[in-house]
Amino acid sequence: MSQDPTVFIVDDDDEVREAIALLMDSVGLAAETFDSAWAFLNCFDADRPGCLVLDVRMRHMSGLELQERLSEEPLHPPIIIITGHGDVPMAVRAVKNGAVDFIEKPFNDQALLDAVHRALEVDAEQRGHALEVAQIQDRVERLTKREREVLEQILAGKRNKVIAADLGISQSTVEAHRAKVMEKLEARSLSELMRMMLLLYPDRTKGTPEG
Amino acid sequence: MPAAFLLIVLLVVGALPAAAVAPASEPSAEHQVLIGVLSHRGDARSRRTWQSTADYLTAQIPGYRFDIAPLDFAAVEPAVAAGNVDFVLVNPAIYVMLEVKHGVSRIATLRNGTNGHARNLFGGVIFTRADRDDINRLEDLAHKRFMAVDPTSLGGFEMANAELRKHGLDPNKDFKQLLFGGIHDMVVLAVRDGEVDAGTVRTDVLEHMANAGTIDLAELKVLGARETPGFPPLHSTPLYPEWPFSKLPGTPTDLAQAVAVALLQMPANSAAAQAGEYSGWTVPLDYQPVDQLLRELRRPPYDQEAPFTLADALTKYWLAVLIGTLALVTMALLTSRVMQLNQRLSRANTRLERRHQLILDSVAEGIYGVDLKGCATFVNKAMERMTGWRAEELIGNETHEIMHHTRADGEPHPREDCPVYTTFRDDHSRFVEDDVFWRRNGSSFPVEYSATPIRDEQGQTIGTVVVFRDITERREAAERFRRQEAEQAHFTRLSTLGEMASGIAHELNQPLTAITTNARACVRMIAAGRADTNTCREVMTKIAEQAERAGEVIRHIRRFVRKEEPEMAPVAVADMFETVLVLMREDARRAGVALHRQIGFGADRVMAQRTQIEQVLLNLLRNAVEAMVDQPRERRVLLLARRSGELVEIRVVDTGPGLGTGSPEHLFEPFVTTKPQGLGVGLSISHGIVEAHGGRLRVDSTPGIGATFFFTLPHVDKGHEATLDAASLQSLDNASTTGEQA
Repeated sequence: MSQDPTVFIVDDDDEVREAIALLMDSVGLAAETFDSAWAFLNCFDADRPGCLVLDVRMRHMSGLELQERLSEEPLHPPIIIITGHGDVPMAVRAVKNGAVDFIEKPFNDQALLDAVHRALEVDAEQRGHALEVAQIQDRVERLTKREREVLEQILAGKRNKVIAADLGISQSTVEAHRAKVMEKLEARSLSELMRMMLLLYPDRTKGTPEG
Repeated sequence: MPAAFLLIVLLVVGALPAAAVAPASEPSAEHQVLIGVLSHRGDARSRRTWQSTADYLTAQIPGYRFDIAPLDFAAVEPAVAAGNVDFVLVNPAIYVMLEVKHGVSRIATLRNGTNGHARNLFGGVIFTRADRDDINRLEDLAHKRFMAVDPTSLGGFEMANAELRKHGLDPNKDFKQLLFGGIHDMVVLAVRDGEVDAGTVRTDVLEHMANAGTIDLAELKVLGARETPGFPPLHSTPLYPEWPFSKLPGTPTDLAQAVAVALLQMPANSAAAQAGEYSGWTVPLDYQPVDQLLRELRRPPYDQEAPFTLADALTKYWLAVLIGTLALVTMALLTSRVMQLNQRLSRANTRLERRHQLILDSVAEGIYGVDLKGCATFVNKAMERMTGWRAEELIGNETHEIMHHTRADGEPHPREDCPVYTTFRDDHSRFVEDDVFWRRNGSSFPVEYSATPIRDEQGQTIGTVVVFRDITERREAAERFRRQEAEQAHFTRLSTLGEMASGIAHELNQPLTAITTNARACVRMIAAGRADTNTCREVMTKIAEQAERAGEVIRHIRRFVRKEEPEMAPVAVADMFETVLVLMREDARRAGVALHRQIGFGADRVMAQRTQIEQVLLNLLRNAVEAMVDQPRERRVLLLARRSGELVEIRVVDTGPGLGTGSPEHLFEPFVTTKPQGLGVGLSISHGIVEAHGGRLRVDSTPGIGATFFFTLPHVDKGHEATLDAASLQSLDNASTTGEQA
């Protein structure tokens, strides 16, 4: 988790591939090269941070195909598409599918490096976000059943008196559970609790996560 | 011949009376002298008339006994010729003949007639009945029946004959009938009695007969009557001397003198004169008029040069003349026919020659003939026009030296090598496609011609006939066509390249990308102080290699779109493969197609128009790649070259779906396509190019396995070009396979 990010380079042209690797090396970035999409997929490790510099046109599996395969993974390095002459429509498609950037060959070295740095930031962001979610998830799992019910009610915006009535317990018991939830989830305020829950369940604005 | 024939007749006829005369003179004892007398009125009458004269002479000239030998017309000359008589007493005509032919000479001329009528001249009288109103002039006698005494009678025919001729009448032709009464009296009576229309007798006959009471002169009238002073009798003709008494050449002169004297002294009233009904004798007269008359009538002796008139010949020898004439006419007809045919033949010949010339002159090709010496025998108008040489300058002169002396490249053209002359030497026709003839003005023009041996009737070669054509325009048209084709090919290549532009740009982009990226990286490393010399050198080397790679691509492109090396040349198969692979690499990569090449042993060099074959390969390669785009199976194309005899077979093998069920032969026609965007000209153009290289573009296809397009090119030995490039070295090991991983 604390590894340095790597620039993964997939291009079936040896010379271009090696040249890009050299460029990365020149700015102190670690680079790994692959001569085909398959070669990359074989070595793919979602845990390794970094970004992917991908040539659109390759034999056997094109850059777009590789992009599609990776999108099935929960986490993958951001993708920078490099294209040759006349491949712009493909590049646009790739961006729509989530690619960070596309660069036309022959490219300006700075443009590529900027794109790589941007991609690495995105990756780091992605990876930081994912870490927080995992921590919250862990904390949520420490809650008792009753505490989760109470959390649920809190997220629904109900007051303690209402929660006590709904759950058939005393208001003081609700308050005790509530303090326990705040403690276990390490939330210092209700708003922080809400932010955590939104991270965990980005799709819902209300309601209780059910395990 | 007629003369000889006449002579024989005369001799035969004359022999009899001569024999008859001889016994008559036998009994005489002393010198008998025979007087030949023309017995024109019969022998008895002659004796009666003349015996008294003979007796008179016998009495006057002692020692001689004179006798009369009557001779008819035919017997006179033989008797004279034989010397059977000593004197002759004949009419003036016969005398003249005898004088000319036998040398007789006159010694006295008869004074004819008695009493007051005696005279030594006589003529002819032509008369008709007085009541014939239709006959008044001699000319009126034409087509009448006419009677004379005898054909040989001078007064009884010949004088009238001559006179009638002077008036334009030919007695032999112009009378309705010409009769001879034989005796004067008969003629007169026949005319009087109307048996004939007219007649002629000698002078005095009419008067005699009138005196005797036989006729009445009033019943008759004289035609063409003349008046001659001192000559009262009726007459129509000129007058001629009377009968002469003449001696033969062999008769002694003194006897002749004695006879002459006796005759001249004879009194008019002597018994002899009375018996002979004459009045004595005078000195001989001039017989020139008689001579003239005989000449006019062509009578003997003047029948020699032209013994017969045509009429004579016709009457006498009509059969021979007829046959001869017929023969002559036949010959003449045949001759004229032959001449006519000959003329027609020569006309036909002339016409034929003219037609020949017309045909020769009307064709556009130049035509001329040479004999075995190489000299022109004929030339046509077109040749004169094309060469500028006139026929008379060429005919009889060596055409090779005049207009075939130098080759197109300026080298001399020896006459031994001249195809025209070789033709009559080896007796073989030939066609020469590429030669030049020289004009009179010193310029030349390209020709093609046929040279054919000319043979005579015996099949002997006697020369060559040459038919030639100026091919300047055709050359230019071919050149234009070739240029257009080259333009077309160039255009096709450009458009092919245009269609492939994106792939080719990528092919350049790759090395350019590598170059810039490497360079920038290197700069950054240097800036960061992290660059060591080794790394930098490595990077620089890579940059150089990539620049070369880009340069190579550009070189291929430029060669491919260059405006044609028009000539066929030896070319390395590997070079052509390389070009098309470079141009196709990116397209193949995009389509996920692997390209391979393989060059078999001995298949490394071909004779080809390089860019055109590259065009073909590119077309085939693109077709193969495009055919496999949507194919899930393995996608590969193999460029294959392998030796096949003197040819190199080029194959483009793919692993595509094959050609389907359509008929493969239509594939090479223009605008036949299976591709939605295709124009369908690629294969048609390729087919044309391969055919221009002497090959055929063919296809093998197995559905689901793949298709193979293949064609052949002429192989070239390596020695043909010294340069051995890397590609051909690579192909030296048999069937080395180079996978071209794009």
